[in-house]
Amino acid sequence: MTETTLTGRGVEHGAQLFREWFQQLTAGAERGQGAAYVFVMGSLCELLRVFDFPVVFPEINSLQTAVRRVAHEYLNEAESYGYSPDICGYVKADVAVQLRGGAHPMGKIPKPALAVCTNACNTYVKWGEIWQRMYGMPLFTLDIPGTRGAGLASTPGSVDFERDRRYVEAQLRELITLCAQVSGKRFDIDRLREHMAHANTMSAGWHEVLELNRSRPAVFNALSDGTVFLGVANGFRGTAQGAQYFTELVEEMRQKAEQHIGTPIDEKWRLIFVGVPCYPIFRRFSELFSDWGGVFVNSTYLRFASGGAHLGFRYDLAHPIESLAHGVLVGVRDAMDNMFFQAPALAEMIDTHSADGVVFHPIKSCRTVSTGLADTRRALMATRDVPSLFIESDLMDRRVVSEAQMKNRIDAFFEGLAARKHQEA
Amino acid sequence: MAYAAGVDVGSTQTKAVIVSAARVVTGRALTDTGANVMRAAETAFRMALEDSGLAEEEIEYVVGTGYGRYKVTFGNTQVTEISCHARGAVHLFPRTRTVLDMGGQDTKAIRVSPGGEIIDFCMNDKCAAGTGRFLGAAATALDLPLAELGPTALRGERPVKITTTCTVFAESEVLSWLGKGKKIEDILLGVHESIASRSIGLLRRVGIESEVTFTGGVTRNAAMVSTLNRRLGLTVNVGEEAHYMGAIGAALFALDRVIATRAAPSSVEPLSA
Amino acid sequence: MTAVVPRESVVADWLGQPLEDVLSRARDLVEDATFPTVRRWREAGGKVLGHFQVYFPEEIAHAAGLLPFKVRGAPLEPAHAESHFGSYLCSIIKTSLELALANGVELDAFITHPICDAARNLAGVWGRNVTYPCRILYLPQNPNSAFAATYLRDEYARIRDLCHEIAGRPVTDDGLHASIAVFNENRALLRRLYSLRREQPWLLPVHEAYVLVALAGLIPRQEHNALLRALLPQLKRRRVAKQDKIRVIVEGGFCEQPPLDLLRAIARSCYVVDDDLLIGLRWLTSDVPVTGEPLFALAASYIDRSAHSPVQHDLRKPKEKMLLERLDTANAQAAILLAAKMCEPGLEELVVHTRALDGRGVRYFVSEFEENMSSFDQLEIQLETFVENLLFD
Repeated sequence: MTETTLTGRGVEHGAQLFREWFQQLTAGAERGQGAAYVFVMGSLCELLRVFDFPVVFPEINSLQTAVRRVAHEYLNEAESYGYSPDICGYVKADVAVQLRGGAHPMGKIPKPALAVCTNACNTYVKWGEIWQRMYGMPLFTLDIPGTRGAGLASTPGSVDFERDRRYVEAQLRELITLCAQVSGKRFDIDRLREHMAHANTMSAGWHEVLELNRSRPAVFNALSDGTVFLGVANGFRGTAQGAQYFTELVEEMRQKAEQHIGTPIDEKWRLIFVGVPCYPIFRRFSELFSDWGGVFVNSTYLRFASGGAHLGFRYDLAHPIESLAHGVLVGVRDAMDNMFFQAPALAEMIDTHSADGVVFHPIKSCRTVSTGLADTRRALMATRDVPSLFIESDLMDRRVVSEAQMKNRIDAFFEGLAARKHQEA
Repeated sequence: MAYAAGVDVGSTQTKAVIVSAARVVTGRALTDTGANVMRAAETAFRMALEDSGLAEEEIEYVVGTGYGRYKVTFGNTQVTEISCHARGAVHLFPRTRTVLDMGGQDTKAIRVSPGGEIIDFCMNDKCAAGTGRFLGAAATALDLPLAELGPTALRGERPVKITTTCTVFAESEVLSWLGKGKKIEDILLGVHESIASRSIGLLRRVGIESEVTFTGGVTRNAAMVSTLNRRLGLTVNVGEEAHYMGAIGAALFALDRVIATRAAPSSVEPLSA
Repeated sequence: MTAVVPRESVVADWLGQPLEDVLSRARDLVEDATFPTVRRWREAGGKVLGHFQVYFPEEIAHAAGLLPFKVRGAPLEPAHAESHFGSYLCSIIKTSLELALANGVELDAFITHPICDAARNLAGVWGRNVTYPCRILYLPQNPNSAFAATYLRDEYARIRDLCHEIAGRPVTDDGLHASIAVFNENRALLRRLYSLRREQPWLLPVHEAYVLVALAGLIPRQEHNALLRALLPQLKRRRVAKQDKIRVIVEGGFCEQPPLDLLRAIARSCYVVDDDLLIGLRWLTSDVPVTGEPLFALAASYIDRSAHSPVQHDLRKPKEKMLLERLDTANAQAAILLAAKMCEPGLEELVVHTRALDGRGVRYFVSEFEENMSSFDQLEIQLETFVENLLFD
């Protein structure tokens, strides 16, 4: 097995890009520059970068506090301020960041000059309302109508689709006006094309990278490596750096696939991950699976948390605003479908990526993702004879994360997988 | 003749079982876990050896299970108590398709295939409501010995509705009902109903398929058995060995390893990674 | 306006009966978690469209001859529904499904709106467990967009088409106008009911008012109109002495409903002069025009002439302003802020509400609740203490 010089590049570069991003944000914060606060499902970075807004993803900031093991301090602070223990941990960690004037383990977070939320998650809107009260800055809610029922996603070109698309387009035009007002800059449609072109490259790349994981062994671990790639997919959306990153990532993964180079884990079991990773014990959580030779080959997280970028939608640069509306609608709608109507997609993933098992990880903080998981699992078990595990914890709050209890269940799951294989033999 | 052993280190008690190659239990022992988990495992194992009349060298493989499974240092490997309870239950009651294990501190619902494979499992170990601990709290509140809880509850006719979801408040709710003039029998029956209801909730998550085998320390409580039977609309299997279910399962897994190693010493992968 | 299916009126024989009898029967119906009015409607050959909290344009279903039934959970144990969900969830999400799975509530369609992150999963979960269509109505969460009304009109057209499909007959503009008229009257009657409570709260305590409002979600609207028309004069003539209780508003009953006993407990020490209980049934605050394009009229009313809740975001309705307006209009001295356990929007709104009231120096009492709680001792003691503090200030 030959080692290529490309192996590991994506993870390394991704981490580096991340650090650079936060360094820039810190510099901007120190200058008193306001940023655009956005969310992973419908970030509109393609548009916001036209006005040179630095882009802040509070969801990413919050999960970083957990990864760096300081989330509990931030959560405590927000709870002292009045927020219930039972609401989303991401929101609370961010409230504490704001109360601390932007102080964050990765540097300093600039205040918002503008916030753009979508309805892909209702908490986004409540979160935006909190910033409104803290800073009085404009909050724009981009309403993206989702699928109305299982299997009923309207097809582009149909009357139903066009109704939704033109609503999104009308709102995008209103957002453009607002951005121009807030930034004092004029709207340059050519710059929009430029950023959309970069987004095209990134989306196509993300799509391909996810597909390449059909390889045996898998070329990346969807749970651990995947979050690095995801961070760049979001934080650098619509940028030349982001486009370059994904071009290189595709190159690396193609090469690994051709040469049958897998992850550092001795791959015994191929798994699908459904939910949001357990960030408070991120590395350990991954090890609980990799210790058994479990590699995650795909994940709904990489779909919905990339705002549907996995679809590889290609914007039509000849009609940028119309196409932006089309792409945002299709992407965010698909992100939502991967949370609410994902049983068929999971079945397909099992088939295409040759999965041995599915791990459902609902989290206390996120009802969007978690409410339907128990039922989705039942539906999936009725269509695919593939073992699945259901373990609950959280994405931020280590008070509800019990490693010992999770390990017990995870071990039992792998014991079951092994026993099943043994019986089949 | 080959012998294997299973040691189940629980939060309150540690159990050890020795089985022969014919899958017959030849020795068993039970001791309090206490603060020194390793010592409890060793003690239980020694006592089981005495019970079976065997010497330590005759035991070819030991599997540790339970929350203290990694502390069974003299063991060859460990297997989760989920797998062990399922295995033990199917061994004792071959038509088992669902297992309810109600322990002192957690409750498990496990669904198994006809071959004894685990299809699904669900545990309540976040909170003590729905476990034997809840009964303990009620016993404390009423100043009754645990052994009297079942017989007293069986005399109840109109169970009170226990609404508290927290064992910590169980005591005060029980006392509050006493204060309202309710009979101890009815209060206790209500406590049993509440625990049964939570357990059945767990069972529903994995799917209830007959036969249902009930294991764990609480199986000795006739009121719990009868409440479960009534609410499930079937008769749960309860064995004499219910307390030892985990250890029996562990011993059987150990025996598997012995047989497999003898059959093809070089070609078998261990159960854990 | 005739219903599709001629059937007996639910409340016809209540009219003219003594007030206490009517209130008692109404309470029984509202508390009956098997929802017999829904069953009887179906037995008579009618079809039922279930809609979840908070708001649904019932006129559209009504115009199709369907019975619009507000699904609002129930105070029961979700023994079957529980295993379809995980932990850390509000009760109403589970008990509502329980009604469909095990309580004999049969529907012909179920529609939800993404009011919150838990509720937006309902269409998916229900859709996998029942045989009838489960759909999401995407009410605009950017009502400030100039295009929102057009979008919503189109969305309502989709609902109309679904109702057409279920009912097996088209929904005409005339039919819609007629239904709008019925619902306009209903809203006007409910406004009069609330007026009465503001002016003479001793005549209608909150737990009784609640029952009268909740009935609207269970029976044909024109019958509810007939009942309210008959009751309002009876209420005005009620012989009840005015007592020395503080005037409060109750905020937090927009989705999961506090148990009646909790409302009764509040009524023991307070006059609730306004609230947001079942606000969805009173969502539109003035008449919807009965001329012109009816779906557009409904859409425009939703966007421009509607109440407020923690689950609707509208830049024109900042929560602080709306809360203080309610307080002032009702001439209340204090506020009772409720939040259902695990209700994310409700719990978040508490922070906004408490700060607004602190800013004004208005006293408030905060409590979490669950629809199936059965012991209120703790809460009552705390509430009484709060009230005493105010009375003896």
